[in-house]
Amino acid sequence: MKTRTVELVARPREPHFVGDGFRVHNFIPSGFRLEMERMNPFIMMDYNSKFHFSATDNPRGVDVHPHRGFETVTIAYKGKVAHHDSSGGGGVIGEGDVQWMTAAIGVLHKEYHEEEWAKTGGDFQMVQLWVNLPKKDKMSTPKYQAIKKEDLSRYELSDNSGEVEVIAGEYKGVKGAATTFTRINMLNARLKKGGKADFSFPKNYNTVVLVIEGSITVNGNDNVPTDHLVLMANDGENFTVEASEDALVLVLSGEPLNEPIAAHGPFVMNTKEELMKAFQDFNNGKFGYLEN
Amino acid sequence: MNSTTFKRFLTTNLNVNENEVVAILDNCTTKTVKKDTFLLRKDERCKHTFFVEKGLLRQYSIDTKGKEHVIAFAPENWFVTDRESSYFNEPSVYYIQTLEDSEVVLMDENFIQLLSKKVPSFTDFNTRLLHNHIRHLQKRVNWLLSASAEERYLQFVEMYPDILLRVPQTMVASYLGITPESLSRVRKALAQKNFKK
Repeated sequence: MKTRTVELVARPREPHFVGDGFRVHNFIPSGFRLEMERMNPFIMMDYNSKFHFSATDNPRGVDVHPHRGFETVTIAYKGKVAHHDSSGGGGVIGEGDVQWMTAAIGVLHKEYHEEEWAKTGGDFQMVQLWVNLPKKDKMSTPKYQAIKKEDLSRYELSDNSGEVEVIAGEYKGVKGAATTFTRINMLNARLKKGGKADFSFPKNYNTVVLVIEGSITVNGNDNVPTDHLVLMANDGENFTVEASEDALVLVLSGEPLNEPIAAHGPFVMNTKEELMKAFQDFNNGKFGYLEN
Repeated sequence: MNSTTFKRFLTTNLNVNENEVVAILDNCTTKTVKKDTFLLRKDERCKHTFFVEKGLLRQYSIDTKGKEHVIAFAPENWFVTDRESSYFNEPSVYYIQTLEDSEVVLMDENFIQLLSKKVPSFTDFNTRLLHNHIRHLQKRVNWLLSASAEERYLQFVEMYPDILLRVPQTMVASYLGITPESLSRVRKALAQKNFKK
């Protein structure tokens, strides 16, 4: 087993608004060396770093939009989001919860700050990921996995130095609640100052670490401040994360999908023809209808 | 200059090679423009034809009551200009504005002349583009006068497959010459017919 080294540390790009409810830094796919092909199956990562939204009676959010060909994963660190879709589905993602939505053949939905939360406003901090689906599953039936904070399994690190929360995949034998189509590990490591966690994933798995809170050192020599993303090289399996101060980091590692990517707007397919079909289906109402 | 889409457009449609295109492109400029920038305003003289490398433009007018009317959307690979102003040298009655951060190739009359001289096949091609444009406008006049809201919508999405996801519904309704409510009704009816849960 070899050490997996740091390929690069990406600073957060200029934030932009998605709708009026999400102020995000896009890391994947617009960041330097963070293209879809390199990061597959993590084909999009928008990070809403901690941002204060003022109180309002008109919840901010993103209007109706479709998705096809992948899964969206929303990890709520602070704040609350409500969502509704054209099949009548909906729910609330609260602090610490994870929503894993398999859009697959198509979901038309909208996402807003939860009404009561919006009335008081507050700090909002979330990660939204798009997880690519293999060709054979791109047109499967949509589904949701609403994973509550209390249902996330945890691994206690030794010496009371922190814990690793497992969203998907596993960490030292502790398995995550989310089911996935390909092999994916998605972990939240909460480390106290000086706390250390070691990770080991197959060499070919594409791997990143996002610092949500605090600051860390990777492999004992690369310092990474808050809101920065570490891209790990595919040159080994093992790496360590040590907290320079109390820290929370999101660790993603997934088996790459070696299939062509054709992406445009909210659709990620394998061919241009499939993309055109996605637009046609959306325009012709095949994703259903939902009022803004 | 990094006008890849325009380069590809020229090499695909004209009998020229990559090197010749590079020489030609030295005579026009590519601009990176932020969202909501005006490339043309009412009462100005339109000096350019715009080719959209990346992003999205719209051409629109504002009536005496202050209401906007979208004449055209120009996504990647489209040309847009005010011919009344650029060819007949009349003050423009339109606005041309970016709806997204865009990259736009600006061609002036000199450039068109130069292209005609240097590339013999350009004149034929330009004539074809012009006829295509007239056909498009004629069809548009016809359906604005005679087609139902649903027919207009279906023709629109065939021509502009991804615009519905890039602009507010009110702009699409304006282009179609229907109310936003009517556009919602059309889309709802299509979903009722075609959506299988």
